[in-house]
Amino acid sequence: MSIDALSASRRVPVAQEGTARPSPARLLTRSLGRVLSRYWTVAAFVVAWQLWSWLTGYNQIVVPPPAMVFGDVLGNIGAYLPDLGWTLAMSAGGLVAGMALGTMIAVVVWSSRIVSGMMTPVALVMRSVPVVAMIPVLARVFGYGWFTVLVITTVVSFFPAFVLVGSRLRAAPQATSDLMAVLGASRSTVLRLLLLPHAVPGLLVAFRLTAPTAVLAAMLAEYLMGGRGLGTLFAQSVSFHEVGRAWGAALVATVVSVACFVAARAVERRGTVRFS
Amino acid sequence: MPARSNDLALPTDTEPAIALRGIVKDFPLKRGAAVRALDRLDLEIAHGEFVAILGPSGCGKSTVLRLAAGLEQPTEGEVLVEGRSPAELIRAHRLGVAFQEHALLPWATARNNVALPFRVAGREVDRERVDALLELVGLAGFEDARPRQLSGGMRQRVAIARALALEPDVLLLDEPFGALDAVTRRRMNLELARIWMEQRITTLLVTHDVDEAVLLADRVVVMTGRPGRVLHVQQVEMPHPRGGEVTRDPEFHALVDRLTGMLDDPEPVAATS
Ligand SMILES: Nc1ncnc2c1ncn2[C@@H]1O[C@H](COP(=O)(O)OP(=O)(O)O)[C@@H](O)[C@H]1O
Ligand SMILES: [Mg+2]
Repeated sequence: MSIDALSASRRVPVAQEGTARPSPARLLTRSLGRVLSRYWTVAAFVVAWQLWSWLTGYNQIVVPPPAMVFGDVLGNIGAYLPDLGWTLAMSAGGLVAGMALGTMIAVVVWSSRIVSGMMTPVALVMRSVPVVAMIPVLARVFGYGWFTVLVITTVVSFFPAFVLVGSRLRAAPQATSDLMAVLGASRSTVLRLLLLPHAVPGLLVAFRLTAPTAVLAAMLAEYLMGGRGLGTLFAQSVSFHEVGRAWGAALVATVVSVACFVAARAVERRGTVRFS
Repeated sequence: MPARSNDLALPTDTEPAIALRGIVKDFPLKRGAAVRALDRLDLEIAHGEFVAILGPSGCGKSTVLRLAAGLEQPTEGEVLVEGRSPAELIRAHRLGVAFQEHALLPWATARNNVALPFRVAGREVDRERVDALLELVGLAGFEDARPRQLSGGMRQRVAIARALALEPDVLLLDEPFGALDAVTRRRMNLELARIWMEQRITTLLVTHDVDEAVLLADRVVVMTGRPGRVLHVQQVEMPHPRGGEVTRDPEFHALVDRLTGMLDDPEPVAATS
């Protein structure tokens, strides 16, 4: 085998041998240190919250202590889970529908100059309207129910996918496009074998941007319209002065949004390495 | 070489494999102005011949190749490949190309990249041929590696294997080793010489490396600076197969020196020719 073949085979990430294994104790302190250095802000946030509820001396109706909120979430997890599951289902459903629709319309726009001229201004206008303003209008049109929540999460998930996939469809490397032309590829073959795979990183960025937004939009819609889900749970707890439950719902919502972001970012990183 | 079933009649031997006749190519610039890249260029390549085009950068070498590949249309003149327009050959999937950028699909393995021409042509992938081609270019064992995991030289070899996948009638190479270091490049030249000996495909190679041109080609075409025109055609008589020992041959060096001289200072030669 030639020299460059050998050097490249070394670059293929295989099992990393030869690095000395550290002792378990050192491994533990090292990973603990890593967790602390990364997530100390979370701990600081909880401490600040505790201090706030002590120092202000308000009664628990205004600022319940963290222990009470965590206690309610962990102790009455059954009261949260159905609503959490519902909200996640609405978000996931809208996310999938919106990203699929965004990708499809991006492909349609790519394939037709006329549609492209029609779509771009529509997309621009709709993109600059905030979700909060859209919810009452959409609720009027689609009714105050879960379907509207799904519509809203779909709308929110649509535009990043539409824009980012659309721009990737137009930005294939020149040399690769030339190659496809010389191989005699039809337009649909170019789309299938080159442009769609090339657009995957764009879709992944859209996913990372959209996943937490979809969850927030679902909760906002539920909060404003009622029905089921974490947003409604929060609204109802507030109106019934169940402070612990209301803060608990907010806490669960925050944790879920962050978790969605982290998970979506991990998916994006994996996928981007695979496709570029 | 195996007999090929094709729907096009075999061209007669007197007809060149590639013919560019009276080619003028203008590229439009802003405000109606245009730059003339090629000016009345004539070039014919016989069946099974290996021709290298040599010239200073910007002289229109790539434009010649892109014309033959049907990627550009001439402003004046005609381009015929196998006696037909490049578009017809492309429709029959009988053109192979490799550019300076390897243009591999980053998400596909070496094997799938070499199989791409089959998929584009809507043919069933001949896995045996794909693996044989990877072996031919010295990449046995790397079938499942992705471009990211391969070195620059290996990527170019995948690109050349891909260009050969459908047994093209004509192979067009635009500085396929231009991005490689000198040592790798020379090794790739020798490998290409070996591959070409096995396949004997009509080949047009664009390069600005004089050694590479003399090492590989039956005929070297030297172009003038912009607008590009044929300045000199040099027959290379050294017999194939040419191995590494050719580069130590005094005849080889004499040729390289002559051609390099033409590139350095084309005007006096142009005046005498
Ligand atoms: N698409 C294009 N638009 C405008 N000018 C071009 C284009 N392609 C090439 N040219 C011009 O034509 C000339 C020849 O280019 P090229 O064939 O790429 O040269 P070479 O490959 O010999 O370096 C250059 O001056 C270049 O600027
Ligand atoms: Mg060039």
